Amino acid sequence: MITAVDDVSLQTFAGEVYGLLGPNGAGKTTTLRMLLGLLPPTSGNVEIMGTRVSEDPHRIRRLVGLVSASAGLYQWLTPLEILRYFATGYSLTARQTSDRIAELTELMGLSSFLNRRAATLSTGQKQRVNLARALIHDPPVVLLDEPTRGLDVVGSQVVFEFVASLRTQGKAVIVCTHQLDEAQRLCDRFGLLHHGRLRYEGTLSELQQQTGLDSLVAMFLQLLGRSAGSSREVAK
Amino acid sequence: MTDELKSRTSNAESGGMAWWTQQWSFTWKELCETLRDRRTTVTLIAMPVLLYPLVGLMFRFVAVGEALKRAPEYRIAVETEQEAAWLSSVIQSGNHLLEAQSEPLNTKSLNTKSLITNSDPKIQFLIPETDTAFSLSETLAVGGADLGIRVVFSERQISNDFPGADLELFQIADDVLSREVAGWLRQRLVATNLLTAANTIRQSGDEYILPVQERTQWVKLRDQTSAIVGLLPLVLLLMTVTGGVYPAIDLTAGERERDTLETLMALPVSRTRLLMAKYVAVLTVTLLTGLMNIFAMSVTVYALQMEKTLFGETGLTLLLIVRLFSMLFLFSLFYSAILLLVTSSARSFKEAQALLIPVMLMTIAPGLVIMMPGWRLEGWPIVLPIINMLLMAKELLEGTLTLLPAMVATASTLLFAAAALSVAAGLFGMDSVLTGSRSGWRDVFQRSSSATETPSSVVGLTTLAFLFPMHFLASGFLSRFTGSQFSLRLILSAAMTVLLFAGVPFLVMRWRRIPLRSGASLTRPAIRLWPGVVLLGLSTWPWIYEMIMVMQSVGLQSLDESKRQIVAELLQSWRQVPVALVLVSLGILPGLCEEFFFRGFLLSGLRRDMNAAAAIVISAVCFGFFHVILAGGAAPERLFPSTIMGLLLGWVTYRGNSVVPAMVLHAIHNSTLLSIAHFNQDVSQWVVGSSQQVHLPAAWLVVSGFTLAIGLIWVGFSRTSGVRTRSLVTQENSDE
Repeated sequence: MITAVDDVSLQTFAGEVYGLLGPNGAGKTTTLRMLLGLLPPTSGNVEIMGTRVSEDPHRIRRLVGLVSASAGLYQWLTPLEILRYFATGYSLTARQTSDRIAELTELMGLSSFLNRRAATLSTGQKQRVNLARALIHDPPVVLLDEPTRGLDVVGSQVVFEFVASLRTQGKAVIVCTHQLDEAQRLCDRFGLLHHGRLRYEGTLSELQQQTGLDSLVAMFLQLLGRSAGSSREVAK
Repeated sequence: MTDELKSRTSNAESGGMAWWTQQWSFTWKELCETLRDRRTTVTLIAMPVLLYPLVGLMFRFVAVGEALKRAPEYRIAVETEQEAAWLSSVIQSGNHLLEAQSEPLNTKSLNTKSLITNSDPKIQFLIPETDTAFSLSETLAVGGADLGIRVVFSERQISNDFPGADLELFQIADDVLSREVAGWLRQRLVATNLLTAANTIRQSGDEYILPVQERTQWVKLRDQTSAIVGLLPLVLLLMTVTGGVYPAIDLTAGERERDTLETLMALPVSRTRLLMAKYVAVLTVTLLTGLMNIFAMSVTVYALQMEKTLFGETGLTLLLIVRLFSMLFLFSLFYSAILLLVTSSARSFKEAQALLIPVMLMTIAPGLVIMMPGWRLEGWPIVLPIINMLLMAKELLEGTLTLLPAMVATASTLLFAAAALSVAAGLFGMDSVLTGSRSGWRDVFQRSSSATETPSSVVGLTTLAFLFPMHFLASGFLSRFTGSQFSLRLILSAAMTVLLFAGVPFLVMRWRRIPLRSGASLTRPAIRLWPGVVLLGLSTWPWIYEMIMVMQSVGLQSLDESKRQIVAELLQSWRQVPVALVLVSLGILPGLCEEFFFRGFLLSGLRRDMNAAAAIVISAVCFGFFHVILAGGAAPERLFPSTIMGLLLGWVTYRGNSVVPAMVLHAIHNSTLLSIAHFNQDVSQWVVGSSQQVHLPAAWLVVSGFTLAIGLIWVGFSRTSGVRTRSLVTQENSDE
């Protein structure tokens, strides 16, 4: 048996962006999947707004919006149909669906391609649809798994703006990434995950105090040097 | 979490969309995604449109040519042209006499002339060149001819200027054709001799009539179909299934390949519902493909004028098309589930395609096997998946299909489809598929590492699918014990009931580490429920019996006169064994064990994925189908009454939060009926229908109806115990 995540305990709050950082294979995605109830932990639990995932995973999913690592869309459907489909999945009424789609179209700038087949969209446009899909049910918690993977500078900027808007909307956001520079720009607090364990946790200044280092990159190199004896993973 | 954040959950958690509206939206999305895909439409339309005309043309030029009985060619070697000419005249004269004898009574309806002409052999005389050495025996020895004839002309005469002869026949030893030619020739020689003798007698002035005369009537086999029709169900099945292959892969493995699976799994919707939407989409495409195939085949057959060659005298009728479609409908229900079962465990298109190859081979092999003579829809093939469907299709086309085996085969097929779909729901979106890790099927069937309180619907329906054929086969086995072996039969019946309905679910629960108490709802019910349960147990049987009578009056009758006699004899056998044995083996044990399975194990499993009403209805219908199967036969008239009984038992289980009241009710019901039948000759005859008495006395019905109503009210208004067992608590998140 492989232990992907071991003894991870973290907490996040409304209006806060929490960066779950770590190299590939650190256990970030596994942690997110446990948060959503897609993967049951061998011990411990996840609690969102008083609901435990082991007791009511469907309620947890109603409270969480997921932006997965890849911008996979149904190629034969239009963004409008995709958004309607997911709205149905979250049991939104027709009125709620149309209102929410109108809001998200405005927020994410989807109007020019809302009725085009998804297969014809650019990567950036697909990612916008993907972000809008995650917010269709206006969840109080948003999980983003490597949201800028495969995106160019413009696409990444859309994501940064998106995360900033989530903070202003008062949502609790957890961003998984191994792009430390973008994490430093986006996140309010950080959890440094390595080999499935949460090594450090806190704001940037708290981490600086704990480690005596200035930047997240330096902290990570030190962390990897201690545990793996190599800094090459960071460079990946 | 802060109050501000809590206020934001209102939208996320809101929504009152009806279950069906939501399910239809899921299905609509799957249909759009599938039907807009050009690859689906190509398979759906282009393949049948192109394939059938091509196959039709091939069939016309090759198969039909072979199928038509061509006139055989007989090669007869003679030594001179003169001999050949003489033989030709003799054969012609013989033919004339034989044809006159073969003339049918009714030539208008049978077109026998063409039959005779078709089968008339073509004679080829082999005559040597005048200057070459020639030996008849040598010619035959090297296979140059089928028969050799040396003609030695005699002084005798057949008619004026037409001499008689002594013939020496050269025949190839142990050669069928040579023997056939010789026999054919001898017939004509005898006819010629006879004609000559008759003419001679007539010329002498005497009237001569042949003392023995024959006359042949040519009769065609009714509904005679060509051999290719035997292949038709298999061809249509394969073509139809082909239509469902791509959508099944695209909607399951495709989700993973285009990275949409994880977001789909993040929805607060059970996998079973998501998979049901995909099932409907695959089924729709499969049915459309089936329709296209039937359409393309009909057009091809009509255009190439092959109706009679393929389908006999009646040709391709609307009734036949309806029959073909109903057959394809059942195929589609089953195969759509099987396709999803296979593709749900695949992590990519390629893997799904590789997994589907054995499935297609598994279809072709039995399809060819059932074409062999002797395969009928009876006995154990009735419950063998694929084989039973193909046999049913074959008999449907032949017009020999009977209702009872068809019902059992259909029920068995539908149960297998439901089980396949349940397992597919367990596989779809599972961790190994989502993350691409190894395992998959192993995860579904391996022993659970941790205990769960109730079986899942997957486990429940899979167990049911395997119990159905096992129950059918065991019932057939028991029907072999008759007469003096009746006690043994009762004991075996009890053992079978315990093994199947208690033993199998018990083993499954042990394997899945499910506690007996929660897994089969074996909890202590409220004491106040018992009077109502006992009243229901005592009063339901007359009404169940009356329902059976109603079913029989509308034509659902399984017992003919001979079978009634057998059942009446069985009743006599009952009276020769101790009543306690009858009650235990046919009353109490079936009551306890069947409830353990249907209302305990299965209902608990179904409740994890659906609301109480749906779970009770499904378990009741399954219960009804099980009661259609009798030892050595089937009783369709029991389907509806047993389903009603299943609904009642399910409701009582729901009200009592325990299976124990249903067990007691069922046991009392069975035992009451058996006791009355055992001690009362009249009632026993009414019950088996061996008497002319159809309905029970009105007074009985009034009393039992009153008791039944009190029992229903009592149970309905009884406050059940405060502690609800987990198996009966709504667990819509079950398949996580």
